[in-house]
Amino acid sequence: MFTSILLCTHGTTGARQAERLVFAKLLKKNPELQVTVLTIIDQDWQNMTGDDWLNSSKTHTTFLDHVEKQMGEENEEDWQRIRDKYPSALKAQFVGKVGAIEETIVSEAEKRECDLIVIGPYLKSRRLFNLNMEKGLKARIDAIKLHKILPCPLLIAPVVESAD
Amino acid sequence: MTQAQSNKPLFIISGFMVIYALIASSGVLHPLMKYLHTAKAVDLQVSMGLICGGIGILGGIVNIVRKPGNTSFDRFVLQPLPGILLILLMAMAIRWYVEPLVKLFSHNLQPVLGFKIYKVLNLNYVILGLLAGVLITNTYGIPKFAAAGVKCARFVLKMGVIMLGARYSFAELAKLGTYSIFLVGTFVLGTVFLVLWLGNLFKQPKTMTGVLAAGMGVCGVSATVAVAPVVKAKSEEMAYTIGTILSFGIICMFVFPTVGHWAGMNPVQFGAWAGTGILNSAQVAASALAFNAVDIKTLKVAEIFNITRVLFLPIIVLVLAAWFGKETGKKLTFKEVVIDKFPIFIIGFLLLFAMSSMGLFSPPTHYKGKFIDYSYNERTQVTDKEWDVLNGAVQANAIKGLNEEQMAAVKDLVAQRQLAGNYESRGDKDLFQKQGEARMFQLETILAAAKGGTLHLEKNVKAAIHHAIKQVHKKSKTVTTLTDCMIWFFAFGLIGLGMQITKKAIFQAGGWPLAIGIISGVTKATLSFFVVLWLVKDVVLK
Repeated sequence: MFTSILLCTHGTTGARQAERLVFAKLLKKNPELQVTVLTIIDQDWQNMTGDDWLNSSKTHTTFLDHVEKQMGEENEEDWQRIRDKYPSALKAQFVGKVGAIEETIVSEAEKRECDLIVIGPYLKSRRLFNLNMEKGLKARIDAIKLHKILPCPLLIAPVVESAD
Repeated sequence: MTQAQSNKPLFIISGFMVIYALIASSGVLHPLMKYLHTAKAVDLQVSMGLICGGIGILGGIVNIVRKPGNTSFDRFVLQPLPGILLILLMAMAIRWYVEPLVKLFSHNLQPVLGFKIYKVLNLNYVILGLLAGVLITNTYGIPKFAAAGVKCARFVLKMGVIMLGARYSFAELAKLGTYSIFLVGTFVLGTVFLVLWLGNLFKQPKTMTGVLAAGMGVCGVSATVAVAPVVKAKSEEMAYTIGTILSFGIICMFVFPTVGHWAGMNPVQFGAWAGTGILNSAQVAASALAFNAVDIKTLKVAEIFNITRVLFLPIIVLVLAAWFGKETGKKLTFKEVVIDKFPIFIIGFLLLFAMSSMGLFSPPTHYKGKFIDYSYNERTQVTDKEWDVLNGAVQANAIKGLNEEQMAAVKDLVAQRQLAGNYESRGDKDLFQKQGEARMFQLETILAAAKGGTLHLEKNVKAAIHHAIKQVHKKSKTVTTLTDCMIWFFAFGLIGLGMQITKKAIFQAGGWPLAIGIISGVTKATLSFFVVLWLVKDVVLK
C-alpha cells in the first residue's frame, strides 16, 4: 500500500519504537519499501543562548556552528547504531536537517514524495531526575501543529518495552 | 505581505503612544495617576509617548515611501523599530501601571496573607518587566514584527553598562575593583575547580565538567556558550548545562534580594553577593535592581562584579582550553581565546568613566555626578527651624565631645546659615571652595562619629547638620539624564532578554549537570554570602 516512508527519529526511547516498527515489522512485510530516516537538528538551539548578552554575535555563531557540527557527528553515530541493529536499514537513506520540527517533517515528506510518516509514541520524560542523559534537546512534536499541515498519513508507533 | 500590512503593528503601537501622551497631557488621567502615585512622572510619560510615538510614525512613513532594502539603515533602524517600540511600551506600562497596581494589590492582600507579596518577591518594574518578557515568549511567542527589535536588547543592555561608567569615581572603582577581584577571583576559580573535582569524583566526561565549570563558575550561559566549542561539548552536555544554569539563575533572582533584605545587607554587600553568587550576568543586574531600583548604588556594585567576572572569562577559557587541549592535542590561538572573547563594551564603560572623571559631563567641582554648591544663595541654607536648633545647641554648649575644627565648622554653619567658605574669600574661588570643603569634611566626621556611637548628638542637631550637607550637594543635569536613560536601558534590556528565555531552554535541566550544578551553585551562593557579610562592611558609595 505504501511505497515511501519517512521515519523520524532522534534516538530517544520513543523514537526507537518507531525505528523498530519500520525496520523490524513494516520492512519485513514489504522489503520494497523506500525508507528515509530523518533526524532534525532542532532550530530551537538558537534559543539556547537564553539571556546571554555578553557574548558577541561571532561567539554565538561559533557556538551554533559547533552545535550543528556536533549534532551532525552524533546523528552519524545514531544512524550507525540503526544500521548495526537492523540490517534492512542498510538500504535506507539517512537525512539530517536543521529546522523547526513539524515544518521540517512536512517539507521533507513532500520533497521526497513520502506516503507515510512514522514517529515514536509519547513517552513521559524522566529527564529531570534521571542521571543518564539523553542526547540533543528535549523536544516534543507538537501534534496539533503537525496534524494541521500533514501531507500524508501519520503513523505513531506503539510502545513495546523491548524496543532497545 | 504588503508594505501597509507589515507597517500595521508599527503604526498601531506608535499611534497608541501618541494618543496616550495626548490624553495624559490633557489631565484626564490625573486622578488615576494620583491613585497609582505616578502623577509626578506625567511630564516624562507625555514626552516619552510623543517622542517614541513620533519616531515610530516617522519610521512607518519612511517604510511606505521608501523601497525596503538591506542597507544598514534598514537593518539597524527600520527593521528593529517596531520591536523596540513594543518593548518600550511594555516598559512604560509596567513602570507606570503594572508595578503600582501590583503594590496596591499586595497592600490590600496583606491582611489576608500577613505579608506584602511585592516586597517578599521584590516585584518592582525590573522584575515584572523580565517576567512579562518570559511570559510573552512562552505563551503567545515573540510577534514576528518584533523579532529584530527584541534582538537589540543585548546591545541596549551593553549601552546601559557603558552609561553606568559615568557614575563611578576613581575611589569607588578602586575600592569595588579590589573587592571584586578578590571575591570573584576566589569564587570563580573555586567553583571552576569544585565542578572539575566533582566531575572527576562522579566519573563524568571532561567535556561535560568543562562546560559546566565555566557556566557555574564564571557567568552562566554566556560562559557556557563561549566554552562549549573550546571543550567540544556534546549536545546533551550543552543542553542540560544551559537548562540547569537558567533555572538555577531564575530561582536565585528571586531568592537573593529577599535574603539580602532579610539579612539587612547594605547596597555594597548585596551588590557584591549578587555579583559573586548569581550565575547569569543579566540576572545579576535584575537582582540588583530588584534589591533597590530607587537608586543605583546596588547596581553600581553588582556591575563592577559583573565586569570583573566577564574579564575572567578569557582566562577561564584559556585554562579550560589548556586543560582540554592536553586530551585532544588541539591548540587554540591567543586570538581565538582572548581577543575574540574580550567584551568590547567594557572599553566603552572605561571610556565613559574616564570622560566623567575628566569632568566632561560636569564642571570640575562635580564629584560622583554631583557638585558641591558653596555659593551664597537661599537654596543651600538650612531651614529657620534647623538654624534655631543649631544655634540653641551652640549657645547652650550642648554639643559635647567635638574637637576644635569640628566645633568651628558647626559655629560657622550657624553664622552663615549654610555650608560655605569665608564671606571675605568669595572673590578667590579656589580658596572659597577649599574652605567649604574643609568645613564639610568636619561636619561629615561629626555625623560619622555620631553614627559610630563615639559621639552623642541630639537627633534634631544631627538632622540639621545632615540637611546642611545635603543642601550643598547638587546633581549634575547631564549625569542625572545619563542615569535616567541608563535605568530605562536596563529596564528595556531586561524585558528583551526575558523574551529570550524559553521554557524549552529551562526544561532542559537535569542529569549530572543538575546534580553537580546544585551542589556547586548552592555552595558558591552560601559561602559568598558569609564572606561578603564578613569582609564587605563599609559603604563607599554616595
